[in-house]
Amino acid sequence: MRMREKVLPRVAAKAFIPLILLFGLYVQFHGDFGPGGGFQAGVIFAAGFVLFGLIFGLETLQQVVPWSIVERAVALGLLLYGGVGVTCLLRGGNFLEYNALDHHSSMHGQHLGLLLIELGVGLTVAATMLAIFYALAGRERA
Amino acid sequence: MKMRRQVKSMWIEILIFALLIATAVTIATLRDLFAAAMLSGIFSLLCACLFTLMDAVDVAFTEAAVGAGISTVLMLGALALTGSREDQQPMRVGPFVVVLLTGAMLLYGTLDMPSYGDPAAPIHKHVAPEYIAGTAAEFGLPNIVTAILGSYRGFDTLGETAVIFTAGVGVMALLLGRRRRRDPLDSEAPCDDTQGGSV
Amino acid sequence: MIVLDILSWALLVFGAGLCVIGGIGLLRFPDVYTRAHAAGINDTLGSWAILLGLMLQAGLGLVTVKLAMLGIFLAMVGPVTGHALLKAAYAYGVAVQNEDEKAGEEHVD
Repeated sequence: MRMREKVLPRVAAKAFIPLILLFGLYVQFHGDFGPGGGFQAGVIFAAGFVLFGLIFGLETLQQVVPWSIVERAVALGLLLYGGVGVTCLLRGGNFLEYNALDHHSSMHGQHLGLLLIELGVGLTVAATMLAIFYALAGRERA
Repeated sequence: MKMRRQVKSMWIEILIFALLIATAVTIATLRDLFAAAMLSGIFSLLCACLFTLMDAVDVAFTEAAVGAGISTVLMLGALALTGSREDQQPMRVGPFVVVLLTGAMLLYGTLDMPSYGDPAAPIHKHVAPEYIAGTAAEFGLPNIVTAILGSYRGFDTLGETAVIFTAGVGVMALLLGRRRRRDPLDSEAPCDDTQGGSV
Repeated sequence: MIVLDILSWALLVFGAGLCVIGGIGLLRFPDVYTRAHAAGINDTLGSWAILLGLMLQAGLGLVTVKLAMLGIFLAMVGPVTGHALLKAAYAYGVAVQNEDEKAGEEHVD
């Protein structure tokens, strides 16, 4: 379908995609205070980008989020999570003992640790969903 | 008052379970894969309702987002590449009997477990009170689920993230090694989507 | 208050009844396009009646705002999704059932 024939879904998508991404960010950072966290936020984030790809075309989506960024983000999330654990080791605690991240207040250390690992989880989940979408939508019919 | 609320939610739970069984049987017997993908989205949505009834809101959130949201889209994307009808397969008695026996043994095993919501179950006596008390003291956060997921059981979450990473890498290795439909960098008009949109 | 309770009960029952009517229409109408008309009731007046009933139960507060935003979201997304679905069905060639019994005229692109 040509783009000019898709006026209605295009206008609705332009209204909603920013809200979806904003909601994904909200769920990511409010996981400590309500339902939410990394997994849900990553999926919502990926859903926003998938909607963009469905309405505006896969090539436009690949200009917005290039394949190289998706590849690196998949690994970067897990690296962030493991990196937090190793940082706790280097600062004198056990692996993934967040108390060691802030020597003055262990509660702040726990908050910081939870924030960083949820960020890592969200990044990996979002990038993996987007990578699977690229892989499936980018192929010819078998 | 509490008894009446339990009875009322019991009827809703029975209804949702009946719908789940009907959906599952329909998915198994349908040969139109497009309808089966849609029905599996409905199955995930019913499971999310069930989890909300059981007061497990985080799990319901994740189930609704993953199962009813993105999983349906990815399955439809896969269906667009392969055929959309399943071939007729003859009914074989042997595997059916094995599955029935295994299911019966699993059901027999659950008869020994503590009943749902029993406060004297082992999990409510050893680990759970420690986590509930410790969350307020050590973290000062209202959401106990995130505290358990991120800090008390942080290793498990690391393993989960590694599993998702491996799944992504596996899909990339399987599907992106070969030729692609169009080189993504030499498209003439960004809005010319003869293949992109599904609308 | 008793008035709010009765009003919210009436709205909830009305909304649920509309959803049942939409479901019956989904089963009884002949083809995709008319079935979408029936299903449209669920998305618009059906959900709004249920949400209004819930808003009356919740009183003034954050929950009411969230329910109102849900209603606005549903009212915008539901018709657009139905439009996209039917346009795809028409482009795919799903038959339109004519009322003078010329059943199954295929519009094949």
